Amino acid sequence: MPKILVIDDDPDFLLAVRMVLEAHDFEMEAATTAEEGIDKVLSTEPDLVILDIMLPTGYEGFDVAREIREKHKLIDLPIFMLTSIHGTKKVPYRFAPDEHYLPVDVFLDKPIEPDQLVDTIQEMLGERREEPEHPL
Amino acid sequence: MEKADIIVVGGSAAGLTAGITARRHYPDKEILLVRREKQVLIPCGIPYIFGTVGSPQKDLVGDAVLEKNNIKLLLAEATDIDRERKILHTTEGDVGYERLIIATGSRPAMPPIPGFDLDGVYAVVKDVEYLSGLQQRLETVKDVVVIGGGFIGIELGDEINKVGDKTVTIVEILPHCLALAYDEEFCIEMERVLEDRGINIRTSSKVEKIAGDGKVEKVVLSDGGEIKADVVILGIGAVANVDLAQRAGLRIGLTGSIAVDRTMQTSDENIYACGDCAEKISFFGGRPSPLKLASIATLEARIAGANLFGIRRENIGTVGVWSTAVGDTALATAGLTEGMARERGYDAVAATIAGPNRHPGLMPGAANTRVKLVFERNSGVILGGQVMGGPAAGEIINAISACVQNRMTAEDIAMFQTGTHPALTASPIAYHMVNAAEMAIQQMRERGG
Repeated sequence: MPKILVIDDDPDFLLAVRMVLEAHDFEMEAATTAEEGIDKVLSTEPDLVILDIMLPTGYEGFDVAREIREKHKLIDLPIFMLTSIHGTKKVPYRFAPDEHYLPVDVFLDKPIEPDQLVDTIQEMLGERREEPEHPL
Repeated sequence: MEKADIIVVGGSAAGLTAGITARRHYPDKEILLVRREKQVLIPCGIPYIFGTVGSPQKDLVGDAVLEKNNIKLLLAEATDIDRERKILHTTEGDVGYERLIIATGSRPAMPPIPGFDLDGVYAVVKDVEYLSGLQQRLETVKDVVVIGGGFIGIELGDEINKVGDKTVTIVEILPHCLALAYDEEFCIEMERVLEDRGINIRTSSKVEKIAGDGKVEKVVLSDGGEIKADVVILGIGAVANVDLAQRAGLRIGLTGSIAVDRTMQTSDENIYACGDCAEKISFFGGRPSPLKLASIATLEARIAGANLFGIRRENIGTVGVWSTAVGDTALATAGLTEGMARERGYDAVAATIAGPNRHPGLMPGAANTRVKLVFERNSGVILGGQVMGGPAAGEIINAISACVQNRMTAEDIAMFQTGTHPALTASPIAYHMVNAAEMAIQQMRERGG
């Protein structure tokens, strides 16, 4: 059963996601701060991380993504950034996955339909599974 | 409630072309174009607002083409779609549809570099008012830093550098500007052209932060270097605008763009998407392609607009063809570079030929032109090409793109029946594409033994 770690400080969102994920045979871990998130990335070894940007004190989600990739070198851990930052900040630009500045695999805005959430996770995990262990 | 057979949401390159195409293919249908902007910018012309063209007001798409094609215009924001009842909700009321095309374009990407929200940090937002504000700001400043050395970045940098007494620096994280589109030798030459025009280039440089007290003062690089800055402009790419599609529950792909099939149909059989908002696949291998160009958008619009009431066209994937120009030097690319081809696992053969594009080379308008073609060794099929030279590079690359799209071989290209003229083209003896193909064939033979 794939394990999904959700790092988000909104308890309602965590509850809603848990219901969807568990209904689709995923195991879910939750963290509500950047520190707890990093701890659980290391201790629970999730198959995929869903990561918010605006955690309790600012834009910590950006730092969490960088820390996962740069400090802990978890280059293959799929990170799905799911956030309402664009709706909240009303900025004319968009944040997006960037190899150098925002090392996440997928970036989508909240709210997200349950089907889209599950499809995206399955696709992200599926892509990884299909990759041959060794180059052919 | 108003109703139209076809509604197109979005009025830029994709939306407009989708409307025109729908009119050509379905002359009896009522077509409505819904867009929120009073004035639509020509997206590729944006860098030239700051120099050659002079203002956003001189870089606009006219509305006459709508009238000419009998397309009604509604200035409103599309807020949601009732897919079951086939109704588009807008800020000016509801409109029913039979088929809907979403062409909501893209927004500029902003990397979350610390300091991105300081006063004086701009993105390339396709909005007349925003760009007018940036233009006014530029009139009062001295030091400008452009982050991103892709084609938008270098065109912006060069245009800003043309006006007034400014110090312009382009910061690129990769080893060369334009490195995602051209082989190294072309990038180095274009960097030299930019530097000769007074632009500072900092490559292999990651931006650590944009610093200032409320207002931007400098850009700090990860190697500790600092660049004074009154204005910082981010030119690092674009992100699909999927707000409407997502609200309507349409499927969004892993790239964050609207998922479409080869007919440009979304997950709803009555809704199509095209342009920057729609997901793209590469012509080479079929993986998702990050390219967003107006020329790709209009191709997709010609597919979507034609397929609304029955499949007539399919998308073969994005070849990736585009040009840029700095002063008199044009640089153009189609398909894979030699480096990209090797990275993807192709056994690539490349051949480069240079010479004047007139004959004799003393004819007026002659410019040294360099053409590089890349082929797959075993099949001889062309994978891509690059051209550097005068303005004709922009058209030569389109001929190369046609070869790529049709999977022509080096032998096909060597056997081209070309028309040449002293005042217009290279000599028939030294015609670039033909000779590059001949050189590649020779290499393939030598290897084959």
